[in-house]
Amino acid sequence: MQRGKDVGQEPIDEFERELRQALERRPAPPGLKRKVMAERGRLRTERIRSRTVIWQRLAASLALAAVVGGGFAWREREEERKGEEARRQVMIALRITGHALNQMKTQLAAHHRANGD
Amino acid sequence: MAHDWQPDFEQLVDEHQSMVFSLAARMTGDRGLAEEIAQDVFLELDRHLGRMESAAHTCYWLRRVTMSRSADALRRRRVRCMDLWIEIKEAHGASAEEKESPLGARLEQMLATLPEPQRAALVLRYQEDLTPEEIAKTLDAPLATVKSQLQRGLKLLRAKAQSHLKEFVRAKG
Repeated sequence: MQRGKDVGQEPIDEFERELRQALERRPAPPGLKRKVMAERGRLRTERIRSRTVIWQRLAASLALAAVVGGGFAWREREEERKGEEARRQVMIALRITGHALNQMKTQLAAHHRANGD
Repeated sequence: MAHDWQPDFEQLVDEHQSMVFSLAARMTGDRGLAEEIAQDVFLELDRHLGRMESAAHTCYWLRRVTMSRSADALRRRRVRCMDLWIEIKEAHGASAEEKESPLGARLEQMLATLPEPQRAALVLRYQEDLTPEEIAKTLDAPLATVKSQLQRGLKLLRAKAQSHLKEFVRAKG
């Protein structure tokens, strides 16, 4: 601090002393601190509330995503299961057909033998 | 950057409310607006409390933000010097009368008629007792500019005082 010196680094004169005296800090209005603290409290509550809303929205979004994802996974598994079932049925059908053909072949062979071919 | 200083917001408001309010009031010339600015500045301080490194840093930060907010408010309201003078006269008539020195009251009114950069430099110099270097840092202005604003502001204020306050001139000889 440079009390006793003016801007040009020369000793301060009476005018500057008066100016310094005139520009002493004024007391703040009596309610200023109360208003600041009240507004701070309000803003904090608002911030907490909006943070809660954000978390709630996030949780809801995650739940929705889980439901949708689960639905897709279930559908995929169901399709896989159906595909497996269809393949199994085709294999059974092929086995039955093979069996029938074998039987037919055996009967035809027996028939030819009986006719003396 | 980690620092050990743990500020208490309420204590900071207590400690600096007079400085912040006085700076804003002298820059805007409007008590109501100054109170609004002071509120905004402290609420901003609350948001930035974690970044304050020391008591001195907080004081510097408060001065800087108050000056910048006051300049913004003035720009928004497009207050001209004469309007400001009239406003100050209306808003602070009672408090001016309460002052012991009538010259002091007149000086404060005359200060309000100065161009904003000169007023800012003079308020920081004579209210806050800052050096030109500190003023330059606070206002984010070149040192030479601040020195010139201080000199020109002081010269203008002296001229106004000489023409308006004959008794002061007589007392000076």
